[in-house]
Amino acid sequence: MIGLSVDKVCKSYGQKRVVDNVSFSANTGEILGFLGPNGAGKTTTIRMIMGITAPDEGRIEFLADGAKANGIPRQHIGYLPEERGLYKEARVMNILVFLAGLKNVPKQIAQERAWEWLNKFGLQDYAKSKVEELSKGMAQKVQFIGAVLHKPKIVILDEPFSGLDPVSQDLFKQELKTMAAEGTCVILSSHQMNIMEELCDRIFLIHKGKEVFFGNLVDIKQQYGSYKISLEVQSPDMLERLNSLDCIESFCALSHNKASFSLKDGLGLSGFLAAMPKDLAVQEINASRSSLHDIFVKIAVGAEDEK
Amino acid sequence: MRNDTLKITGWELMRNLRNKQYIISLLITPLIMVLFAGLPRLLEKLDKPSVMKLYLIDGAGVAPQLQQMLPKDEFIFEVKQDKQEVEELVYNEKASGYMIIMPDFYETGKLEYHYNKRNLSAFGAVKASITQILKLQRMSSLQIEPSKLAFLNAEAQIDQIAMEKAAAPKDNAMAVSITFMVLVFFLIFTSGSMLMQSALQERRDRMAEIVLSSIKPHHLMQGKILGHLLLGVIQMSFWIALSLPAVVYLLDFPLLQALSETNIPLMLFFGIAGYLLFSTIYVSIGSTMDDLQSAGNTQSMIMMIPMLSLLFITPIIKNPEGTISKFACIFPLTSPMAMITRSAFSNVPITEVGLSAVVLLASIYVFVRIAAKIFRVGMLMYGKTANFSEMMKWLRYKD
Repeated sequence: MIGLSVDKVCKSYGQKRVVDNVSFSANTGEILGFLGPNGAGKTTTIRMIMGITAPDEGRIEFLADGAKANGIPRQHIGYLPEERGLYKEARVMNILVFLAGLKNVPKQIAQERAWEWLNKFGLQDYAKSKVEELSKGMAQKVQFIGAVLHKPKIVILDEPFSGLDPVSQDLFKQELKTMAAEGTCVILSSHQMNIMEELCDRIFLIHKGKEVFFGNLVDIKQQYGSYKISLEVQSPDMLERLNSLDCIESFCALSHNKASFSLKDGLGLSGFLAAMPKDLAVQEINASRSSLHDIFVKIAVGAEDEK
Repeated sequence: MRNDTLKITGWELMRNLRNKQYIISLLITPLIMVLFAGLPRLLEKLDKPSVMKLYLIDGAGVAPQLQQMLPKDEFIFEVKQDKQEVEELVYNEKASGYMIIMPDFYETGKLEYHYNKRNLSAFGAVKASITQILKLQRMSSLQIEPSKLAFLNAEAQIDQIAMEKAAAPKDNAMAVSITFMVLVFFLIFTSGSMLMQSALQERRDRMAEIVLSSIKPHHLMQGKILGHLLLGVIQMSFWIALSLPAVVYLLDFPLLQALSETNIPLMLFFGIAGYLLFSTIYVSIGSTMDDLQSAGNTQSMIMMIPMLSLLFITPIIKNPEGTISKFACIFPLTSPMAMITRSAFSNVPITEVGLSAVVLLASIYVFVRIAAKIFRVGMLMYGKTANFSEMMKWLRYKD
């Protein structure tokens, strides 16, 4: 089994530093969420991991059974880039066998595995079709198959869910969970935060080329997330009293007696309950942690703008 | 890994050999070439029925001889006495014209040629024949015997004998070398442009990143270059196989003798090296463009580089040992074609062949390095065609 270690990696194009001192790791059997706004340096980092470009500084190491692997184990890595493409005039089976061949999978085995995957994704009737005859979703499934046909030990998927219908998304999610359960290290980059929250064990967040956060979901929510509360009170004046509390922000009146707001960073539910006036006649209250989506927006837009 | 290069070569071969465009061009190109080679002859044949009819007011009696010297199905001469009658006949019959040859023609050498329809080649033939008649008549008037006339009229026969046997230019070998040079030119342009399209397609189809995650950029580049070389060789071999029977049996060309007299290793070396040099240019240019229409001035100019050799072909044929010829054989962008051409017309000293080969190989090495740098960055720059300054910047990027 293979894991990945990225250590203090930097990359510049001309005068512009696009990746600045980035470090993270991904373990076997783990799904690591690789997040960042557009232009954050994700693709450049992924390209450095894949050996497509080389870092100016820092080290990228692959760990096989705990020991450092020699170079980039290309035949054990599967990659689905954000910029999608397949040779338009090529036939589906031919292209899958070619991509597997690049990873040293013999033709016969590649064909057998390709049939399995095509059946799994309902594409068995398209094996001899040209890529240009496929729909966008079908082509995306073929690309996904191309990225995993050689049974990689590390899979890097950049926006694998974009353009997929919900049924196909569920199918992809299930496959990723299965791969991770079988010991594959999955690095997943996506802007669909609900899926990331559902799938990822750990998150690495990058912004403007710099590391913002690296840890598990609980930690990121603890560090950046606050509680979102919506509640219903008996009378409108009670909402005004609530709005005057120092511990809340982003107050939004939903109706004459309903409102939603966030608690200030670091304040737990018990702190809020203690600060809440005792005579506030609360009819209904819902409290939830900020979603990954909220945290992402908060970091991407900037805390000041959020306020 | 060399294996990775071969994987790409195999893929390029398989893709193109199954590609309708490639198969059509394989079959259609010889037809087009035959058409172009045969068309002028066909047109000439179709043009034959036009006959030149000339009336003669023949005071010197040249008509019988003139008719004898020129083919009857192309020239008709009719002798008349009256100028006015002749003019009417010419207009009525739409004849080519008439000539007035005065009795003192053999002294003065002057005659009048009145034309209704101008035909320069026919006029040239008439003039040459009449000049010949004039010459013979003048020599005859000097009381020279007919047998001596033929002796006086004979052309010099020059036997060309090279002092060193090896230096003797052999016409058949020359034909083989020139044909080979034309084929190499064709290979560079057809395979080169296919190669450029292939790199461009890799970029346009967004496949580069997937492929480059499995193999190194220079393997992708080398695989493409090798693949298209083989495709070009398949194409050429097919065409040669088609045309060989015609060359050997119809033209009665002594092929085996010609091949034995040709410097085949030299031609193959410079042919393949030439392809490799120019293919690195084409593949790197293809990797900088999003589509053929968006090719900028830089790309268009670079694509024309192989044409440079054409400037030197005539000076090399005229003076194979001249300074221009020697320069063209050393300068790497012209040396492949120049050396093949020069070797057809003279025996190139081994030291010059060696120097040319070394410079060419060194240039290929440098070109491959530059092309690999451009290719590496260019393949991943989606959605735009790079300009010259961007390409220069890429050369400074660290790998």
